Amino acid sequence: MEYLISHYNYWIYILLMMVGLYAMLAKNNLIKKVIGMSIFQTAIIVFYVSTGAKRDASIPIIAHGHGHDSAHAVIDIMHYANPLPHVLMLTAIVVSVGTLGVALAICLGIHRRYKTLEEDEIQEQLQ
Amino acid sequence: MNGVVILLVVSGLIFFLATTVGLLRFPDFYSRMHAAGKGDTLSSLLMLGGLALYEFHEINIATILVGAKILLIVVFIFMASPTATHAITDAGFESGVKPWQKETTEEKSP
Amino acid sequence: MIWQIDLSVLSIVVICAFATIMVKDLLSAAIIFGAYSFLMCLLWTEMGAVDVAFTEASVGAGVSTILFIAAAYQTTRIVKARRRGRLASKIIGLGAAVIMGLVLLAAEANFPGFADPNSPASLHVSPYYITQTLADTAVPNMVTSVLADYRGFDTMFETAVIFTAGLAVIAILRRVKRSDRCDLPEPFTISTGYEDTIIRFVSRQLVPFMQLFALYVVAHGHHSPGGGFQGGVILGASFILLAITYDIKMVQQRMSEKWNILLGNIGVLIYAGIGFLCLLLGANFLDYSVLSNILPATDKIMARSHGMLGIEIGVAIAVMAIVISIYLNLSSHGKLDEGL
Repeated sequence: MEYLISHYNYWIYILLMMVGLYAMLAKNNLIKKVIGMSIFQTAIIVFYVSTGAKRDASIPIIAHGHGHDSAHAVIDIMHYANPLPHVLMLTAIVVSVGTLGVALAICLGIHRRYKTLEEDEIQEQLQ
Repeated sequence: MNGVVILLVVSGLIFFLATTVGLLRFPDFYSRMHAAGKGDTLSSLLMLGGLALYEFHEINIATILVGAKILLIVVFIFMASPTATHAITDAGFESGVKPWQKETTEEKSP
Repeated sequence: MIWQIDLSVLSIVVICAFATIMVKDLLSAAIIFGAYSFLMCLLWTEMGAVDVAFTEASVGAGVSTILFIAAAYQTTRIVKARRRGRLASKIIGLGAAVIMGLVLLAAEANFPGFADPNSPASLHVSPYYITQTLADTAVPNMVTSVLADYRGFDTMFETAVIFTAGLAVIAILRRVKRSDRCDLPEPFTISTGYEDTIIRFVSRQLVPFMQLFALYVVAHGHHSPGGGFQGGVILGASFILLAITYDIKMVQQRMSEKWNILLGNIGVLIYAGIGFLCLLLGANFLDYSVLSNILPATDKIMARSHGMLGIEIGVAIAVMAIVISIYLNLSSHGKLDEGL
């Protein structure tokens, strides 16, 4: 039971990643593949953010952070969540929306050229 | 004070439950939009009002600022959510969604 | 960090993910994807990652959904079934996913437990960031100080990546001359040009409040969740709201394409420019403490805080311009005359 409570979240993140991977491989429509890519990206982001969570810890903003004596107060690291995965995942989210924009632009370009967005029809037209 | 907060939050939850049940059980697009638009707005307003009241337990500048921000959220939800409901219903009407008609029994008897 | 709430939200997230890829209508898939993103925000708030949740709420659930709807508007809406090779593609997809999942599960056995305070990720560099951020930079929000000061190079290249993504969308889609546009297919619904007074009035009233809130988020990023990215996306979303309720010509009267791209450039220039200014004053690139020589009445610690505010402003301007540009190009297929 202890093992289940401390490890169930990794199993669900792996399930989410595999849902995204299946959508990228097996779906016919190009925009469905892009949705699968987004699901994969958010699953990886939630995996990284969960490594920074701490039991009984608060958000990574130092309370009562104003005033002159705040710099000398003792800050207990167990009170605050780990900020480093949050920073890396902020970058990842913003880059993922940029990637999404370019992927959808390529989908629009393909639709303009081949008049369809289905993978098998595009492959027929390529031959 | 705590009693009023609990009353507001619980009634907000009851209205949310009613909204969800109405969204699933109503027969037609327009009646579902009735349930979603009105119930959603009212329950959000009630729950946020309860949370804003909870902030006023002790009156100092920090809690007044937090309570004022929550009340501003209430104002903007009150403005934007019914407009969104109107937009969806209008789009349905422009696309030609027909209202639900109750089937009469005269056509069934020979 | 209550594991019961965590587990219930995660199970609804998995149901949303399955539903998104299984529905046959692309608009429904986009809306369910928006619900999936909002549930992820809830999950991250519950884990204590408020900055990440704020960014995902504005970027993932807001802008991504409208980009999907704009792309579906310009192409097909109903997904067609595959005509040949249906079973083969399912078997390959399922087989690859299952094998990859089993490999990852085998690797997962050695991971530290969930929310363990003594996991190795929390024990090496991050105690320095947690304990020293007030003493070094006078900024209580640890995520902002790590993002903009301790790891400022990453953020600069991330802003450059956003700018490059905007350039790529313009390069793929933008058609200026009328002779290039004759082979563009029709969107799947022709807009009737119906004007609605209520929607236009309310959205026009809401836009100044959205922009004021965005400026508040940028400026208050040192003390509360927020910062440059979130504020920039909310600023861009205010223009997207105008483009949806009115038409693209109205947005172009207020923010022309030339000024849009110029603002994107100026944003990246502000960021790199502050770095070069530090270089010119005699210290390393992006070392803000030497700015105390030119800013009046600041010491070295407050100079770092002000340097962070400067680059956050640059990031906000760049992100706003790129979000507007990507949406306008996607929703009008590069023509920028009429769109969603």
